[in-house]
Amino acid sequence: MENEVLRMQNITKIYSNGFVANKDVTFGVEKGEIHALVGENGAGKTTLMKILFGMERNEEGSILINGEEIHITSPLDSIAKGVGMVHQHFMLVPSLTVAENVVLGVEPMSGGLFDFDEAVKETQRIADKYNFDVDAKLPVRDLSVGQMQKVEILKALIKGAKILIMDEPTAVLTPQETRELFEQLQILKEDGHSIIFISHKLEEVMEICDRVTVLRHGRCLGTYDIKDMTETKISRLMVGRDVVLKMDKPQHDRGEVVLELDKVVKINSIGKRVLNGLSLQVRKGEIVGIAGVEGNGQSELASAICGLDAHSAGLIKINDVDIAGKPIKDIRELGLAVISEDRMVDGVAADRSIRENIISDRFDKPEFKKGIFMNNKYINQVVDECIQEFEIACDDRDQPVRMLSGGNIQKVVVAREFTSGRNVVLACQPTRGIDVGTAEMIRKYIIKMTREKNAAVLLISADLNEVLECSDRLLVMRAGKIVGAFNSAKDVTEDTLGEYMLGIRTMSDEELEAAL
Amino acid sequence: MKEARKIEALFEVLRIVASLAIAYVIALLVLFFVSDEPLFVIQQFVLGPFSSPRRIGSIINLAVPFVLCGLGMCFIYSVGKLNMMGDGIFMLSGCIVTFVGLRIGGLGLPAPLVWLILMLVGGLVGVMCIYLPAWLDVKLGVSVIVVSILANTILSELSQYILQFQMRDPSASYLASFPLDPSVSLPKFLPSSLKLQSGILVAAALYLLSVVLLHKTTLGYKMRMVGANAKMARAAGMSVASTIIIAQLIGGFLAGVGGAMEIMSNYTRFLWTDTTGHGFDGLMVAVLAKKDPKYVPITALLLAYIRIGSDVVNSSSSIPNEFVSVIQCIIILLVAAEMFLTKQRNKLICKAAEANLKQEQQKQPA
Repeated sequence: MENEVLRMQNITKIYSNGFVANKDVTFGVEKGEIHALVGENGAGKTTLMKILFGMERNEEGSILINGEEIHITSPLDSIAKGVGMVHQHFMLVPSLTVAENVVLGVEPMSGGLFDFDEAVKETQRIADKYNFDVDAKLPVRDLSVGQMQKVEILKALIKGAKILIMDEPTAVLTPQETRELFEQLQILKEDGHSIIFISHKLEEVMEICDRVTVLRHGRCLGTYDIKDMTETKISRLMVGRDVVLKMDKPQHDRGEVVLELDKVVKINSIGKRVLNGLSLQVRKGEIVGIAGVEGNGQSELASAICGLDAHSAGLIKINDVDIAGKPIKDIRELGLAVISEDRMVDGVAADRSIRENIISDRFDKPEFKKGIFMNNKYINQVVDECIQEFEIACDDRDQPVRMLSGGNIQKVVVAREFTSGRNVVLACQPTRGIDVGTAEMIRKYIIKMTREKNAAVLLISADLNEVLECSDRLLVMRAGKIVGAFNSAKDVTEDTLGEYMLGIRTMSDEELEAAL
Repeated sequence: MKEARKIEALFEVLRIVASLAIAYVIALLVLFFVSDEPLFVIQQFVLGPFSSPRRIGSIINLAVPFVLCGLGMCFIYSVGKLNMMGDGIFMLSGCIVTFVGLRIGGLGLPAPLVWLILMLVGGLVGVMCIYLPAWLDVKLGVSVIVVSILANTILSELSQYILQFQMRDPSASYLASFPLDPSVSLPKFLPSSLKLQSGILVAAALYLLSVVLLHKTTLGYKMRMVGANAKMARAAGMSVASTIIIAQLIGGFLAGVGGAMEIMSNYTRFLWTDTTGHGFDGLMVAVLAKKDPKYVPITALLLAYIRIGSDVVNSSSSIPNEFVSVIQCIIILLVAAEMFLTKQRNKLICKAAEANLKQEQQKQPA
């Protein structure tokens, strides 16, 4: 293993809530290879990489770079040793130009002042070398997500990174952008860089990586040559059982329209039309999926429907009632259940118990009260039923939610929303960042809601697979509008979706009309 | 991870006990170095408060306003706000209660009715005053901390204005109001050597009400959820703004009743020329009680004990009363420092997690 540039030896990391994120993990990366690090959400991939990049400290174990043991206390140490990280959530200053972002921390100076021209030259030089197509003088806020990612990579390269950590780089990209990224990664690899590729999209791992290391529950299951592996083999290692990638979705008749949006416009605080005349309908008993590159108005659409942030113009009707000007409570009473995009912000109060979180939308219903007091006996009974039905892994109903795993926290949210008896479900990123098993369970519940309880579901998700698998009908959203509609999600390919998401293809109003 | 929960709970208590202990030791050290007769002074400080039934009674009586202001702060904290208007409210409430007391005191109304009216007047003053910062915060997003601290000065000056120009007794040789009718004063509670005041009964009743309100009612639940995550509470359909305001109104009410009872228990005239600091004492009592009304009486008594200890030292030696505020500062600093002792806590949690892992590994082969 003389080519080994990085070795992480027996790494153990325990978080302050007692969660063991990594236990005795050992893995090595060679020069000029793309090394996949795979595992379910919560398997410890990101934690391991945060340790390598100096953002977390390991309790035990050592890190060797080029055979030499190093002590990393901050990202600066890692950068000095040639480690660069491209974060899942970009760390860029939107108002600054590409060049200014790239040289941040290593600014070229001339006469004690920042030398902008030199920064542009330097940025362009590296961009050209690795065939990155970005304009160094553009402000970052005007870039597409794919281009922002390139800026992130350039940032690492200009600081001399030889080992690049890419944390789920394709999660935010369209299929076309992904292909472009892969070409660039190949160039980097041929140039002698090592890339740690974190992903749970196995077909991508198979396509681009040389070796793969599998983590499960914080433990390392081993490193394998890709040529000896298949997708099924890897996924079996990851999850410990076969994963059902196809969802079982019985045929079902659609009922009347219960959620209707007509030419909805939302102008945000800086005057941008984030929803630009969006119309859609969801009927009883169907799941309508919304695909699209993140940041094209999906979050604003969700906020408008649940009344968190009122729309500027147009009509939103839930069960035939206009929601304009209604308080959130009333909108929910019209029959809206919501799985919010960010469960820790809008979904749960982390410091409060499972019990208190589950009753948060119904505590003032008569059966939950005794006069001004809470009816604890009934509440406990309801909560215990939820814990049982949704298999929430916890000590008891009084455990603070923050002590649960991401998947179980989401189960608390799902338990609350799906037992509320409401018939319009707005599911935003319902399985983001949670383990495969729970994700599968949540998808099944979503399907069950429509098939058995005849609910209408609007599913907004950045996970194309999820949208394709779960939806009956499929819409593509771009720039605050529906730009593509497909009556049967089964007949759409990821590539077609990608073309609509990127704006290469757009349906005309007539076509949309026909598809709806 | 039941262990993690237990360890967290243990360290919550440990942190408070440790900060009290450290502050206490520092106080003793200070006494040791500044005093000519350190051992005597320290003995006075530690044991003095228990040296006579009268002093024990004083501890309890002194704790009454601490309990009320502490309970008030617990409600304010429950919705995650730091409204520090209690101090000004305590003073203005005392002033207005005197003002009203001067008018209804001699009318021959039954005494319990007078007491009730005056307490309600005090509470109402608190409610009306605290509404301003609470409303500005919710409607206009003005920082509740800044407004409440600034408003304290206004309330203090307003009290002085009323004292000087509306009820000053020109025959008194010092700045004070006309004397209150004896019927206004709360009677002593059980004639015993402890000399307890009947304000204790009111404080006890409000204590029970507060605990029940915050922990057992739907309103209390709403306050706690709003305090824990206002965004989530809003998304769940709770009326966040009104909950935040109501909690602070309750806090203001309690501080106001505290001010009223202080006058009715300990004074025959209104003569405060500055705020009494009870609002900030209440803040400390609440923080020490982990912002839970349940523990407020304990921490209020603790603070009262330290205060009486300092009074004893003050009267029997040359050590000034102010050294107690040093202790108070250290306590607040350490209790508010959330990172204090976290290292030790995390180590213990890690250990428990590792022990758990080993157990699991041993189980697996079987």
